[in-house]
Amino acid sequence: MSAKVKTIERKGRTFLEHLYLVEVFKGMAVTFGHFFRNLMDNRRLYVRHYPEVKPEIPARWRGRHRLTTHEDGTVKCVACFMCQTNCPSNCIMIEAGERTDGRSEKLPVRFDIDLLECIYCGYCVEACPMDAIRMDTGIFSVTSYDRESMMIGLEDLLTTPAGCSEEEYQKGGC
Amino acid sequence: MSALDILLVILRIAFGAFVPLSFVAVLVWMERRGAGYFQDRSGPNRCNVLGFRAGGLIQNIADAVKLIFKEDIVPGHIKHKLYFILAPTLVFITAILSFAMVPFADTLVLNGKEYIMQAIPADLGILWFLAVVGFGVYGIILAGWSSHNKYGVLGGLRAAAQVISYEIPMGLALVSLLTIYSTVNLSEMARFQGQLLFGFIPMWGVFLQPLGVIIFIVAAFAETNRTPFDLAEGESEIVAGFHVEYSSMKFALFFMGEYVAMFVSSALIVTLYFGSYQIPWFSTETLVNHSKPVVFLLMLAMPVAAYFFNIWMKKNNRSQYERPNDPRVFEAQVYAAVIWSIVIFIEIIFLGFLIFSSGAGGARILVALLQIACFLFKTFLMCFVYIWVRWTLPRFRYDQLQRLGWQRLLPLALLNIFITSAVVVSLA
Amino acid sequence: MVSTILFSAFAVLAVAGAAGLVLLRHPMNGAMSFIMTLIALAGLFALLSAKLIFAIQLIVYAGAIMSLILFIIMFLNIGEKDLPDESNRWFYFGGGAVVIAPLAIFLLKVVNKLPSCEATIVGDSFGSVKGVGMVLFTEWLLPFEIVSILLLVALVGAVVLAGKREGKL
Ligand code: SF4
Ligand code: SF4
Repeated sequence: MSAKVKTIERKGRTFLEHLYLVEVFKGMAVTFGHFFRNLMDNRRLYVRHYPEVKPEIPARWRGRHRLTTHEDGTVKCVACFMCQTNCPSNCIMIEAGERTDGRSEKLPVRFDIDLLECIYCGYCVEACPMDAIRMDTGIFSVTSYDRESMMIGLEDLLTTPAGCSEEEYQKGGC
Repeated sequence: MSALDILLVILRIAFGAFVPLSFVAVLVWMERRGAGYFQDRSGPNRCNVLGFRAGGLIQNIADAVKLIFKEDIVPGHIKHKLYFILAPTLVFITAILSFAMVPFADTLVLNGKEYIMQAIPADLGILWFLAVVGFGVYGIILAGWSSHNKYGVLGGLRAAAQVISYEIPMGLALVSLLTIYSTVNLSEMARFQGQLLFGFIPMWGVFLQPLGVIIFIVAAFAETNRTPFDLAEGESEIVAGFHVEYSSMKFALFFMGEYVAMFVSSALIVTLYFGSYQIPWFSTETLVNHSKPVVFLLMLAMPVAAYFFNIWMKKNNRSQYERPNDPRVFEAQVYAAVIWSIVIFIEIIFLGFLIFSSGAGGARILVALLQIACFLFKTFLMCFVYIWVRWTLPRFRYDQLQRLGWQRLLPLALLNIFITSAVVVSLA
Repeated sequence: MVSTILFSAFAVLAVAGAAGLVLLRHPMNGAMSFIMTLIALAGLFALLSAKLIFAIQLIVYAGAIMSLILFIIMFLNIGEKDLPDESNRWFYFGGGAVVIAPLAIFLLKVVNKLPSCEATIVGDSFGSVKGVGMVLFTEWLLPFEIVSILLLVALVGAVVLAGKREGKL
């Protein structure tokens, strides 16, 4: 099999290009074109006016975490510590308690995620055998005025709704 | 000294001190919005006071407040605290002082007395600029050295080497300019540029010294440490160079010093090569003698300009997304009202001038104001070129920078001197 | 009156800077105090209304040469331990003072004996760029050219020396 050889012409060797100034002026003409167009009509800026206009978040986007529940509202998590063990930044803290609803033996009584340490890698989601933790909330801006409120607990995780429908999530894979 | 003398002294010094400072605000704003528009972004446009954003200028106030209230840190490892504190002050003061001898209007003749329109009315001219700018380097060297930080030292070294090597082509480009103008006095240079070449081209330095202007502008970019020559603070390689360790107002002094230096070198480029305060084709005498038609033309032109500006503002000053009762439309209406009232105010003044003016005094003051406006406008355009270049060209590599300075610009400047002196001698 | 005050201020600054250059141990302090001396001297020139010399003093000495020296000091990055041992420098200072003293007394006497006269500025162009240039390029053209050849020799010498070292490497 003969490899396809493509000779690429080397640019920047002509006298005019060596002079540098001509090329500088060409470049400046290009940028000035952009400047002038935007100055005359700023509707044509390639920007999304962010806080007012939100971006569309696809189903596969790894946003903030949430814990899923069964149809009857009980938590799916069985406190198996898979996610905590897998987490590369050690930011999940689970405390297990006894489960009385008969679904399994354990359930989490405390489930804290330190969002300041989380790197949003999604390993916890991959590791979970129960599909109990997901990152499909579509929350991409996690901000706060103090460190304490960046630690979200069981309550928060359970009450955050999903950002997309179940079918979409399934279609999106992961 | 009469009251008029004292008033003019105060006015001139205030002009020399405050115009560079207020240009800092304008330039920072221009840099941000300009950068935005060059890159198809919008730049800062959210900061507001009661909903008035002044096109983003309010962001500067926010910045100033932030810088003033930040903690002023002198890191513990710094041994030479005096130099550490002296450095930003030096940079800032030299930047402001170097503007002192740039004339911003033609010599004003009032009651038979002449007032040179410079902050310091001495005739050292360009020599003063060279002398004072040389001291700016000390600020950078001291900052880099006393920071006791390898990035700081590297930045200081780069800046010093760069400024020292580009001062030579700059000086040589000036030499050939001086042979043409045969003076070092900037006021005389400006007057020289009021003449006409072949009767129709304004005799500006740029037409007499096409090579010199390129050398000078390139060297001036390097002197002010602006892109493409901003290796001294190359963020990607040496963090921020000589001002890594600085915070709060000490950093702000560096920052403002840089912008003042940019303003001053723009003013100097304008003075040397682009006709200074001269309005092309209208010398001072012509303007003074025909002050009434000039005023009349201005009275006609101003409403037209305001009208078009308002159309442009209405189109652009509104939220570019769905928003009920867009407050920016209201904002634009307020601005329009302000602009129209300013126009009307100036029209009334001009009308008063047309009706009541007698004698040359008023006309001369008017012409001086016009020339100041022209000078500031030209300087503003030159500053825009600085910003334009910054957002177009990538940074040089250090060896490229030195090679450009010593192997290209220096011989070119020498050649320019030979050609210029040959032409000057043969024409004399 | 104002000029007397300015003169004394500049003189004190110049002497203080010179003393600092000799007395301070760290090279950076020495260089900075020398810069102070140079600036004070430039101020003295300005008082004499020698505008050109004032500018040249600032541009060449205080500006260019000293920034090169500072550059080199920064480049070498001298620490406290690299400085030579100067424990007996006070001895040298004392000896030097003893040697200089008679000379200084003699000089002071000479200066005191000088008849006092009013210094006036001759013409408007005295000390200005044009005035100095005119004198330099008409009356003193030959010495000027000789000095410029001297500078050229130094320049060529520097190039030759630098070239030699590169060849060896
Ligand atoms: S996303 Fe990654 S870092 Fe964050 S909690 Fe899950 S496993 Fe840990
Ligand atoms: S979220 Fe999943 S992996 Fe983590 S403890 Fe609960 S069941 Fe186990």
